[in-house]
Amino acid sequence: MAEKTWVRMVTAQTPTNIAVIKYWGKRDETLILPVNDSISVTLDPAHLCTITTVAVSPIFDQDRMWLNGKEISLSGGRYQNCLREIRARACEVEDKEKGIKIAKNDWEKLHVHVASYNNFPTAAGLASSAAGFACLVFALAKLMKAKEDNSELSAIARQGSGSACRSLFGGFVKWIMGKAADGSDSLAVQLVDEKHWDELVIIIAVVSSRQKETSSTTGMRDSVETSLLLRHRAKEVVPKRIKQMEEAIKNRDFGSFAQLTCADSNQFHAVCLDTCPPIFYMNDTSHRIISCVEKWNCSEGMPQVAYTFDAGPNAVLIAHNRKAATQLIQKLLFCFPPSSDADLNSYVIGDKSILKDAGIEDIKDVEALPPPPEIKDAQRCKGDVSYFICTKPGRGPDLLSDESLALLHPETGLPK
Amino acid sequence: MVTAQTPTNIAVIKYWGKRDETLILPVNDSISVTLDPAHLCTTTTVAVSPSFDQDRMWLNGKEISLSGGRYQNCLREIRARACDVQDEEKGIKIAKKDWEKLHVHVASYNNFPTAAGLASSAAGFACLVFALAKLMNAKEDNSELSAIARQGSGSACRSLFGGFVKWNMGKAEDGSDSLAVQLVDEKHWDELVIIIAVVSSRQKETSSTTGMRDSVETSLLLEHRAKEVVPKRTKQMEEAIKNRDFGSFAQLACADSNQFHAVCLDTCPPIFYMNDTSHRIISCVEKWNRSEETPQVAYTFDAGPNAVLIAHNRKAATQLLQKLLFCFPPNSDADLDSYVIGDKSILKDAGIEDMKDVEALSPPPEIKNAERSKGEVSYFICTKPGRGPVLLSDESQALLHPETGLPK
Repeated sequence: MAEKTWVRMVTAQTPTNIAVIKYWGKRDETLILPVNDSISVTLDPAHLCTITTVAVSPIFDQDRMWLNGKEISLSGGRYQNCLREIRARACEVEDKEKGIKIAKNDWEKLHVHVASYNNFPTAAGLASSAAGFACLVFALAKLMKAKEDNSELSAIARQGSGSACRSLFGGFVKWIMGKAADGSDSLAVQLVDEKHWDELVIIIAVVSSRQKETSSTTGMRDSVETSLLLRHRAKEVVPKRIKQMEEAIKNRDFGSFAQLTCADSNQFHAVCLDTCPPIFYMNDTSHRIISCVEKWNCSEGMPQVAYTFDAGPNAVLIAHNRKAATQLIQKLLFCFPPSSDADLNSYVIGDKSILKDAGIEDIKDVEALPPPPEIKDAQRCKGDVSYFICTKPGRGPDLLSDESLALLHPETGLPK
Repeated sequence: MVTAQTPTNIAVIKYWGKRDETLILPVNDSISVTLDPAHLCTTTTVAVSPSFDQDRMWLNGKEISLSGGRYQNCLREIRARACDVQDEEKGIKIAKKDWEKLHVHVASYNNFPTAAGLASSAAGFACLVFALAKLMNAKEDNSELSAIARQGSGSACRSLFGGFVKWNMGKAEDGSDSLAVQLVDEKHWDELVIIIAVVSSRQKETSSTTGMRDSVETSLLLEHRAKEVVPKRTKQMEEAIKNRDFGSFAQLACADSNQFHAVCLDTCPPIFYMNDTSHRIISCVEKWNRSEETPQVAYTFDAGPNAVLIAHNRKAATQLLQKLLFCFPPNSDADLDSYVIGDKSILKDAGIEDMKDVEALSPPPEIKNAERSKGEVSYFICTKPGRGPVLLSDESQALLHPETGLPK
C-alpha cells in the first residue's frame, strides 16, 4: 500500500521597517555585512506586511517560489544562502495528527514551496525585500522547527537582504554591524518594543516618480567605491549618532529623535550625491515635503515631525503624537492635494482615523483647507503625491494559524 | 572717470565655507575658470570729483546703498592704497592724501540677468575694485587687488584674472595671503567650449552667505571635505589643467560639484540647489560620457540649478548642444535666437537654424526612452574660457556722464 502523502505548511506575516540611522555600504558583498550599525522602526503589519506560506512535502520535486502570484527563480545567491542556512538548522518534526514524521537528516532531501504576497505595491519603493526575506526565513524556521531565536534568524535573513534582519522584531530595532569575518555577530536586536513609544504616528507619502531608481545594491557599492565622504560617515559620524539615537528612543526624547533622523536621512542622500556617478533618490517633491516639515518644525518651539527617505522619493514622516499627525495631514493635503478625479478613500489609506480627526471627509474638505501659516505663498501641487499611508510603529513577525489565510493549497502545495 | 570690464568665473573646485566671516577667508582653496566677458561681464564706470558730496552707486540703473560692510571694506582698502594722480590735459592733480576727502560715483551694469544665478557679485566686486584701483592709481598687482575684492565677495577675487585661477586660502589671520593667482591664461586650453543651461526655477534660493555659514555650523562632512578631500583635489586639478588632461579634469570637476551639493544636503536645514532638471542634465551627460572612451563633457553647478557644461572641444560641444536641444527643447512659442545666445557658431556647426531643425533632432542613442522636457531650460549660453579685467578706453561705453558724473 502506498504511503499516504502529506503536506506540512506554515503561514507567517512579517512587517517592513524604515531605517532612522541608515545602512548604506557593505564591507562584505556575499555575507552582506555593513560598514556601520543601523537603527529602524518597524511599521504596523496591519497596513504594510508580507505574508508567506511555506510548505514541505515528499511530492515536491524542486524548490519553487511564487511572489505576488508570479513564479520566480530561487537560483540567485541570496535565496540559496537563506535556504542553505535554514536547512542546516532544521530539526526533527513530528505531527501525529497528520502522520508526519521528519527526521533531522530528511530535510536535505525534501523540497519546499513558497508563496509570498505583499499587501503594498513592490514598485512603490516601500522596502518589500526586507519584509519578504524576513518572512521567508521566519516561516521556514517555524516549518523546520529550528531552535534559533529571532536574533539568530536575523543573521540568516540578513544574507537575503541586509535590511531584512531588522524585520525580525517589532518596535525599534538595531542591526549591529558586527566584527567577525563570518558575519555570525552581524545581527538585529530589539531596542524597545512597539508599545514603548506608541504615541508616534507615521505618515508615508508615496511620491509619483518618473524614473526607475538605481538599485540599493548597485548604488551602495558605487558609494563605497567612489564616495570620499562615506568612510568618514561610517567611522566618525554614525557611531556617535547610534548612541544618541538609542538614548533618544529610550527616553522618548522626540526633539533629539527628530534632529538625528532628519540629519541621518540627509547625510545618506548626501553620500549618494557624492558617488560616481551621482545617485539622486529624492526629487523636487521630496524636497518640497522636507521644506514643509522644516518650516513647521522651525515655527514651533520643538520639532513636531521627523522625516526620513530611503532609496527612493517616498517620504516617511514620523509625527510626535496624534495631534501633530492630524495637523501634519492637513498641511500635507493642502500642499499635495489629489488630482481632481481622485477618490479620497484611495488617496489616504491605512489608519483612516487620522483623517477623521482632521475633520476631512471628502474632497470638498480637502479643497477648503487653509494654507499653513508658516509657509509664505504656499502652493498646492496637485498630483505630486500618488497617495498617503497612515500607520504607526508595529509588532514583529507572527505565525498565522487561520488556514484560510494560507497562500498555498493544503493538499497540492500549489498557489491557491 | 575710468571704465572697466570684468568677467565672471565658475569654480571647478568649490569654495563653500568661511573660517572668518568678516575678512571672508575660506576653509579651503578653490579653482575656477574665467568666462569670456564678450558673453557675460560686468561693466563699471567709477568717477571722482570735488563736486560729489557722497559716495553713490547705481547697479543696473538703480541706485543702491554702499553702507553695507562689504562695500565699505572694499572702498576703505582701495582708498588706503590710492596714490598721486596727475592728468595735465584735464588739469587734474590729486595728491595721495586728497583721496580720503574725495567721494566717488559708481555705475555698474551686468550684461546677464542677476536673477539667473550667474555669479553677478563675483564679477561686480572684481570690477569695482579693479576700476577704483585704476582711478586711484594704486600700484598693487591683480593678486593684491584680489585680496581686496575678496572682502566684497569671496569668489570675486578669482575674477581678477583670465583663464584658470586659484584662490589660495592662505594662513594669515589678517587675510593678507588669501588671494587669487593665475594658473594658466585663457589661451592655454582654448579648445574648451562652455555651454550654460539657465534652468527655470520655481523658488528663491538660499543665499550663499547664509548657506555656507549653516554648512560650517552643522555639516559633519564639511570639515572632512575641507581638510582631507579638497587639498588633494586641488593638486590634481592643477596638474590636469596644466597638462590639458580632459579626462581627469572632467572627473574632478563633476566630483567636486557633486560633493559641494552633498555638503549642502548634509546641512541643517538641508539646502537643495539642484532640482529635477539639473539632475536630468547630469544624467544626460553621465550617460554620454560613459558611452564614449573618454569623458566628453564636465558639468558643474553653483548655488543654483543652472548647469555649466564644459565640453572637451568644438566637436564635443556641437554634439552636446544637439543632445541638450533634444532633451530640453524650447516652448513652442519660443524664438531660437533667444533660446541659444552667446556664441551662436556652435548652433550653426550643429546644423540647427530654426525650430524645425530642433524638432527634427534625433534622440541620443545612449539614453533609453529619451524624453523631451519642454520649457525646463529657460535658455542656453554658449561661451568659452576668457580673459581677465580690462579698461575700456572708448568713452561712449562709460556708464556715467563725463560732466555730471551721474548715470547716463
